[in-house]
Amino acid sequence: MKFAYYPGCVAKGGAPELYKSVNACLGPLGIEVEELHGAACTGAGVLTERNPELADTLNARTFAMAERLGLPILTICSTCTGTMYASHERLKDDAYRARINEHLADEGLEYRGTTEIYHLMWILVEKIGLDKVRSLVKRPLNGLRIAPFYGCYIVRPSRLVDPEHQKRDTYLEQIIAHLGADAVDYSGKTKCCGFPITTMNRRNALKLTGRNIAEAKDQGADLMVTPCPLCHLNLDGQQIDAARVIGRSLDVPILHLPQLLGLAFGLSPEELGLRHHIVTPRTVLQKFLAGAAV
Amino acid sequence: MKVTLRVKRYDPERDRSPRWQEYTVEVEDYATVLDALIKVREEIDESLALRCSCRSHICGSCAMRINQKGGLACKTKLAEVAGDGGTVVVEPAGNLPVVKDLVVDLVPFFDKVRAVDPYLQPAGPPPEREYIASNEDMENVKGAMACILCGACVSDCTVLEVDPDFLGPAALAKAWRFVADPRDAADEERLGALSERNGIWDCTHCFMCVEVCPKDVKPMERILDLRRRAMEAGFKNNNGSRHSDAFVETIRESGRLDETKVAIRSTSGLGELLSWSGVGLRSFLHGKVPLSHKPIPGAEHVRKIFDKLETKAGEAQ
Amino acid sequence: MLQHDVLVVGAGLAGMRAALEAKKQGVDVAIMSKVYPVRSHSNAAQGGINAALSEDDSWESHAFDTVKGSDYLGDQDAIEILAKEAPQAIIELENFGVTFNRDERGRLGSRNFGGASHARTYFVGDFTGQAILHVMFEQLLRTGLTSYDEWFVTQLVKDDSGAIRGVVAMDIRTGQLHLVKAKAVVLATGGMGRVYEPSTNALICTGDGMALAYRAGALLMDMEMVQFHPTTLKANGALLSEAARGEGAYLLNKDGERFMFKYAPNKLELASRDVVSRAEQIEINEGRGVDGCVLFDLRHLGAEKIMERLPQIRELALEFAGVDIIHEPVPVRPGMHYIMGGIKTDVWGKTNLDGLFAAGECACVNVHGGNRLGANSLLETVVFGKRAGAAAAEYVKSVGDVRVSEAWLRDEEARIEGLLKRPEGEKAAALRLEMGQTMTRNVGVFRTGEQLLEAQAKIQELKQRYQRVSVGDKGRIFNTNLQFVLELENMLDLAEVVVASALFRTESRGAHTRLDYPNRDDANWLKHTVATYTAAGPKLDTRPVTITRWEPQERKY
Repeated sequence: MKFAYYPGCVAKGGAPELYKSVNACLGPLGIEVEELHGAACTGAGVLTERNPELADTLNARTFAMAERLGLPILTICSTCTGTMYASHERLKDDAYRARINEHLADEGLEYRGTTEIYHLMWILVEKIGLDKVRSLVKRPLNGLRIAPFYGCYIVRPSRLVDPEHQKRDTYLEQIIAHLGADAVDYSGKTKCCGFPITTMNRRNALKLTGRNIAEAKDQGADLMVTPCPLCHLNLDGQQIDAARVIGRSLDVPILHLPQLLGLAFGLSPEELGLRHHIVTPRTVLQKFLAGAAV
Repeated sequence: MKVTLRVKRYDPERDRSPRWQEYTVEVEDYATVLDALIKVREEIDESLALRCSCRSHICGSCAMRINQKGGLACKTKLAEVAGDGGTVVVEPAGNLPVVKDLVVDLVPFFDKVRAVDPYLQPAGPPPEREYIASNEDMENVKGAMACILCGACVSDCTVLEVDPDFLGPAALAKAWRFVADPRDAADEERLGALSERNGIWDCTHCFMCVEVCPKDVKPMERILDLRRRAMEAGFKNNNGSRHSDAFVETIRESGRLDETKVAIRSTSGLGELLSWSGVGLRSFLHGKVPLSHKPIPGAEHVRKIFDKLETKAGEAQ
Repeated sequence: MLQHDVLVVGAGLAGMRAALEAKKQGVDVAIMSKVYPVRSHSNAAQGGINAALSEDDSWESHAFDTVKGSDYLGDQDAIEILAKEAPQAIIELENFGVTFNRDERGRLGSRNFGGASHARTYFVGDFTGQAILHVMFEQLLRTGLTSYDEWFVTQLVKDDSGAIRGVVAMDIRTGQLHLVKAKAVVLATGGMGRVYEPSTNALICTGDGMALAYRAGALLMDMEMVQFHPTTLKANGALLSEAARGEGAYLLNKDGERFMFKYAPNKLELASRDVVSRAEQIEINEGRGVDGCVLFDLRHLGAEKIMERLPQIRELALEFAGVDIIHEPVPVRPGMHYIMGGIKTDVWGKTNLDGLFAAGECACVNVHGGNRLGANSLLETVVFGKRAGAAAAEYVKSVGDVRVSEAWLRDEEARIEGLLKRPEGEKAAALRLEMGQTMTRNVGVFRTGEQLLEAQAKIQELKQRYQRVSVGDKGRIFNTNLQFVLELENMLDLAEVVVASALFRTESRGAHTRLDYPNRDDANWLKHTVATYTAAGPKLDTRPVTITRWEPQERKY
């Protein structure tokens, strides 16, 4: 199974542990990748709101690169995925695509409209299969209570990101279960982490962050897992400030999806970049994965 | 088809806090949640309070939360949310105070609609006949005119959960309807006011309103369009606009996002910047701040695309 | 102390337009409605609003089509006003901000509608009523006038001279009753569709204003004239707009025959509503229907036109009939839709009671006569709403201090207390259902004296049983059950009047088809019926029809 790999900006910037942990998991999962080193940022929705044609051009450029390789795109970020899907939808219009292609002509690129996009989370369920995933588990996460946190762009608008009604907004729970852990149910799982308004209204952003973590914790979560590095920036990176704003202690470690996979696959904390976490998962993991060197 | 409604009830004259009550009813296969609620009210429990009127999703009375999701009870088929023998959870709309059972207080809702000066403000006296306008423009505005002010979007807005002062998706979509209307001449005042606190820049872009809107108004997209129009109109002395500019600039420069630079450039000044020092330091200590930001291979092609398509932003700067 | 110069009851299009106009005259105005203004049933008007605006059209043509549509029962002085003032009314709505569809020159674009000789229906997609209602609400917000949202009027209040000088109303949110004094009251409370089951009307259409006015002594005119819309869905009575036929949709029987060729060879599906509904009912009764319906075929219009101009219709058919009109015909049947009759007024909305005005569906000016043309109802609300508002504002200038007894309030409080304290008895909803089904069965598209007498007996029985109806919800806050019991009383009174009026008119005209009197009888019945309240039941009488320039002719489409 081979993909054109689009890690996105944050995996190569503020969340290096994501990039690292994906690389560590690809082998066991049997995924081959060719990284799209020359692909630009998707615009994360910010470019779209400002200049849709510009955002669509950058994304068409990425789609064209993958198309040239004859490979579907693998993403590891909810926001990248959602933004790409929105461009992808608009680029289905032949006339519009032709106009966008004019902007790509200088670089000798053309997007013909055939590229498919998959987030790692979708690949696990739809391409690899959860039974296969379970068969790779060497260290079952038995007893761990994990709260899924999707991020907005990978679940909404559902008619865009889940057009075939595959219930993609339940995949994290299914994955958690197949790794041996218990999924915690709470209303915040598909809500906003607050990241997009971090610079516009930090107080509201932190309240959102804090509220979601607190709810997960109150439902008994030992840790949370997210398929979106932007959510991670807030849930982990700003958790201390969020706790202060909502006036209660949180201290809930936040794992990236591939880190959770890696732990179950028996990979080491170093390979998964766990030292990069602001809220360290060490204590939780030591308690539950006794015997494992964490 | 037999279904069970699990209804969140609250009678301020009897209950100290909300309680759950279950009703099982037999309904037609095509029945909606509203059909079932009416059946309950008429045949089982006359004290169940809810608003409803048209039964064909045009009056906007019956917005509530069904299985944790905002929507119109008259537009939600039981077969889709419960199925035969299933249970459907019905609660009052969120983000508004509950008056009784499924009835919420709409005063704050309409106050926000009122706050955006929701009426056409043309320049000068009206023409002798109609204003000349293209059908395309009217079709465009119609997208937001389809809003029935039901409040489903407000019910599920994530920002309103933490900040009741946010104008919210319904009022902002209403504001958009005038800004986008070629007959309205108050764009400048409107965009200026909407760029203030509690306005367009407080939307967190979570798509919740787009997801739940029963009339496909896409309030969030209207809000994002208002941001673009506000920036174009020169309302740029705010963190939202600075963030947008900084975001664009770092991608233009290197093809990819430079989070550190965006964060620094988005703030209003040194004071605000200092409030970020804790996060910055912690991130640095955990190896989360890249020491150098390398451009992508072929970044010059990206720059060319920006130069071609972002002239407007360039001019505004 | 709650007091206003003009109190408008009902905040749909007619009510809001009246309030705006009265306010413009500089008097103190308040508007009161049992629902928030944007929840009003004006929302449901899908297809459009009529006006002779184009150069090849004329107000005379619009007026004649309306007269003919009314089966010559409309008052021609009122119809002339309706048609003459229509263009300005549409322009005003456009200037207020309604996003009417445009033609290629950027001017207002129109569509065809039933019974009309020109394409004079102006529209906003297929949600014209909603678009206009919301724009009118915007204008209302602009004035900042007092709005009693979710207040339910239980009684009209008179002074010693018998003039209407306010209302007793329940603030639904608290359940408290209030005396609200006013120098004039404008009723704009809409229709009474819930008297029938099924009906295309919203659940709020319980005829409250008509019943209040009737019991206070106002005349109810032509109440036998009940319109059945030709295209409603079987499942829940939902309406598919006439816009669909305006755009060219066909009606077929089970053999795939476009049966309207037999009944209205010129206008076919675009004949007036009474004609089309009768034709459908005949096809169904004679065994050429499909499961109690005929087939409504839009396939030839194509997906693009359907999606641009009729999206709501597609949505409704998909949802409630499981049919995608792009690909298959949808079964439809005639359904109760509108009442041409109502509170008798003059062309300024003035009723026979001093201080009481009425406009919109609750009123009978009378512009619709025996049958209303599609897209004339929205027009009526704005033209006569404006007139009633202006007349009421003018009227209050000559009214001195309002003196009404507090006993009105105490009596209403006692009545409500009495209802709440009734021992457990019959459920109001069950009675309403029996009433509605009786009305549909016996007072429908076709009527006979025998059926009407049966209905009369049934309504009497229900009125008796009403005395044993109990209120299950004993609280005061947002007691929708109590409100419904009060509404049921209104509906039963109106049902009684509809049946009595239908018995009284021994001819067939417009929507009133008596199988025992199958012909139009101009010699005896070119007259309005009027009903007056008495303790023993409605007293029926007649009033002349005003004819200005169009003498009655045979009506053919």
